[in-house]
Amino acid sequence: MNASLAGMLGVGGGFLLLLWLCALAVDRGWISTRITRHPLVYALALGVYASAWAIYGSLELAATSGYGYLTYYLGVAGAFLLAPVLLVPIQRLVRTHQLASLADLFAFRYRSRWVGTLITLVSLLAVLPLLALQVQTMGNAIYLMTGAASPATLALVFCVLLALFDMTFVGRRRIDGRHDSLLAVMALSSLIKLSAMLGLGGFALFAVFDGPADVQAWLEGPGQAFQASVVQTDPAHWRSLLLLFFAGLLMPHIFHLVFAETRSRHTLLQASWALPLFLLLMALPVPLILWAGQRLGADAPLGTAYLAFGLSESVGLQALAFLAGLAATSATTLLIALALSGMLVNHVFLVAHPPEAHHDLYRWLRWLRRGLVTAVVLGGWLFYRIVGVHHDLTSLGLAAFVGMAQCLPGLLALLYWPGANRRGMLAGLASGILVWLVGLWLPLLTGLPALVLIPPGGEALAGEPTWYTVTLVSLASNALVLIVVSLATRTSEGERAAAEACSVDAVIRPKRLPLEAANGEAFKASLAHALGESVAAREVDHALDDLGLSPQDGRPYVLRRLRDRLQANLSGLMGPSVAQDIVDRYLPYRQDGPGATEDIHFVESRLEAYRSRLTGLARELDGLRRYHRRTLTRLPVGLCAFGEDGELLMWNDALARLSGIEGASVIGSRRESLPAPWGELLGRSIAAPDSHLYKQPVTLGGTTRYLSLHKAALEGSDSDPGGMVILVEDHSEMKWLEDELVHAARLASIGQLAAGVAHEIGNPITGISSLAQNLRYETDDPEVLETTEQIQQLTDRVSRIVSSLVGFAHGGRHLAGRELAPVGIAEVVDEAIHLIHLARSREDVRFDNRCPAAERVEGDAQRLLQVMVNLLGNARDASGPGDGVTIEAVPEGSGLRISVTDEGAGIDPSMRDHLFEPFTTTKPPGEGTGLGLPLVYSIVAEHHGSLEVESPPPGSERGTRISLWLPRHQKEGETPR
Amino acid sequence: MYVYRLMLFLVLGGYLLSPLIMSGWATPGVAWYRPFVIWGVLIALTLWLEQKRKLDER
Repeated sequence: MNASLAGMLGVGGGFLLLLWLCALAVDRGWISTRITRHPLVYALALGVYASAWAIYGSLELAATSGYGYLTYYLGVAGAFLLAPVLLVPIQRLVRTHQLASLADLFAFRYRSRWVGTLITLVSLLAVLPLLALQVQTMGNAIYLMTGAASPATLALVFCVLLALFDMTFVGRRRIDGRHDSLLAVMALSSLIKLSAMLGLGGFALFAVFDGPADVQAWLEGPGQAFQASVVQTDPAHWRSLLLLFFAGLLMPHIFHLVFAETRSRHTLLQASWALPLFLLLMALPVPLILWAGQRLGADAPLGTAYLAFGLSESVGLQALAFLAGLAATSATTLLIALALSGMLVNHVFLVAHPPEAHHDLYRWLRWLRRGLVTAVVLGGWLFYRIVGVHHDLTSLGLAAFVGMAQCLPGLLALLYWPGANRRGMLAGLASGILVWLVGLWLPLLTGLPALVLIPPGGEALAGEPTWYTVTLVSLASNALVLIVVSLATRTSEGERAAAEACSVDAVIRPKRLPLEAANGEAFKASLAHALGESVAAREVDHALDDLGLSPQDGRPYVLRRLRDRLQANLSGLMGPSVAQDIVDRYLPYRQDGPGATEDIHFVESRLEAYRSRLTGLARELDGLRRYHRRTLTRLPVGLCAFGEDGELLMWNDALARLSGIEGASVIGSRRESLPAPWGELLGRSIAAPDSHLYKQPVTLGGTTRYLSLHKAALEGSDSDPGGMVILVEDHSEMKWLEDELVHAARLASIGQLAAGVAHEIGNPITGISSLAQNLRYETDDPEVLETTEQIQQLTDRVSRIVSSLVGFAHGGRHLAGRELAPVGIAEVVDEAIHLIHLARSREDVRFDNRCPAAERVEGDAQRLLQVMVNLLGNARDASGPGDGVTIEAVPEGSGLRISVTDEGAGIDPSMRDHLFEPFTTTKPPGEGTGLGLPLVYSIVAEHHGSLEVESPPPGSERGTRISLWLPRHQKEGETPR
Repeated sequence: MYVYRLMLFLVLGGYLLSPLIMSGWATPGVAWYRPFVIWGVLIALTLWLEQKRKLDER
């Protein structure tokens, strides 16, 4: 009793100020998120489990039961060792459905708001003794430190300070649904109490004893007298205590921190070893303090629980004991009030008074929660005043843990038994709670003797401690009634679906139904009836942000995801029951739409997200699924698939390239809403009686493409989804080749025709020409001579036409069986120019041969000469007086590009497409046969070359350029370019 | 999954057999810190399993 009252209030106030500054620093971002979100911070925050019981109650238990005190730590440590099979599945559920408490989880699984209400009331009744325990230890610690006459009043001051501090967390903005600052404050409290406990333990070990060996020597010597009074815990009691503290996980504050505040699965799994380590370090000093106190004969006026205060007269050491208790009680009370107020709002207040369209729903909820936080903290103080002062810490703590353990059968059934139903759970819980109330809780409150209901055959329990009997009987009746009633009663469809979603081995097969709302804006308008305009807009915008979607996106898949997200977010705000009611009522599914079908795309996206969690056969199957998925996605042919309700389920890479539309932007759309021309084209294919639609002309990117579509129905059965798969092939290239083939066939038939005509006409013409020649020698009549001259000129002309026809008709056969030889292109051009000049016509046109002398092509010199004569002749005829014709040759790829460019009038665009057809000419009648360019085309094709016409050439306003590409002659040792 | 089964086996086994282990702690001559050493070994084992799980999931 060395410290002053003001000093103690200073320590208490300073501690709370430190916590407040910590919260502020985290909220303002003064501390890096790398630190605040570190898994070790989370594990330290979980140390809130070590409440005042761990500091003072454990000493009391260790003094009477020896190592039995360890059950408090080992029970919950066991739960964390089981994290992968117990905690992770619950965490998955809590995160997926935004559940914040045990009541939320039960209400979600058992599909009843009354289940949530009952769990909340059980939690409230169970934590009251625990809260009273915190307040009692705090009051006693203040009394021991200051000797103040009214520790209860001081405890009340402390509770009011805590409630005020707690309110600041209610108003704080949540990040990702979690409070970084809350975790940081809890972690700091844990660090302080751990340091204080290690300090006390260190003092006991090294100041009172002389190290571990001295402790051992004392225990085997003088300490044996103290050890003799210890009653070792009975094995059955030990197991029951382990089970009870295992159920400590269900305490509202622990459940909230473990599941609602956890950042990731990895964080939780890290805590599976870090929290047991923390608890080990917290438990280690307990026996040392006890033995040190016994060795020193320390004074403990309020019982062994407060032995640490008597270890030394030093204020510093007593302050350490006080600080450890202060950190533990503050953190526990803060978090219990926060978690329980949330449960009370969601499962008592909002259920009794569903939220109307409040002017400011958030504000209303915030103030409601603040009021409840204060009520819970003060309720703890009141319980302490009425009940706590008459009982030791062990009685209070055990009453709380036995009450909370009543939720254990329901929780295990929730995870591992889909057959459990609401009636079974409620009946089981009610029977367990009844046994607990009359056996432990009410006697605690009223002071009346415990009424322990021992079933027939349980007479062996008669001499056992009350807590043990109540634990066994309540849990056994709870589990038994749950099983029997669940088996005897019917389970609703909703419960069955929720059971599948909760079950560890669940095969979740989400269904898809069309919604009445058409887009995000319609969602806002509908929800405004329930939440008010501003809250509805904020919630919808928040959900759209979470999903990275646009408010205008009207894809059915997107709307379903938006609805789910809204329900989850509202569940975080006002509990799952109210959230589900609001969403069902204001965002209903369409009743006139097609029946529910499986949401394959959603299943796939979830499998993608959960991949790292799959093991064994599931992982193998997922690997197979990915392989098939990849096969379809990478298929070099366009592929899309529609569900039975016409919703697009797949759009592969090839189709995305062909259409220029990314799959992510259209998957989940209805066919009709696909961008043009796809909606109409795919609809045509689906509606067509035939499975194939060939070469459908479609304008894509300004050019006409020819697409072939092949469809197959995905036959639906009871278990397999139906729908339609459509393959889209681009046959534009093939169509072009077919057109070319038709053109070539037409040329060939014209050639054959021309050959026949030439043969038939050739002989009579030769005859006419000979007869005209003879006539010239037999007359001197100038008129007759002129006529014969004209006849000869006309027959010459006919002969030339016939000769051209024969040449054209023979095209393609000349090279057969002949070896190609290197041909100097410059020489061929020179010779062609020479031949052109022989015609003595249009000598004012200049020819400029710029072909390099060294460039050679593979070909027939005579045939190529014919090509050049035709091209140069055409160029000359098209040119005006003084114009030039340029012939150039440049290597291109493995060939040579030879171009003939004139400066003439150019080619009429209407003629350009028919230039290579026989009898097409731009020359006046009588001057051209229309066979020159078809012949050139034919010869170039024989040489495996190609022909291009540009009129006017790029960069010029007039003229024409005809380019030939011919395979280049490769010298020995030269590699093709 | 084998890791989880091992963990389940250890925890359930530990739960059922822990009174036997505990009765040994109170025997004179047994080091007072033995329970904490056993507990520390369990934590080390959990840490090892956790590391193994992380490697498996990579």
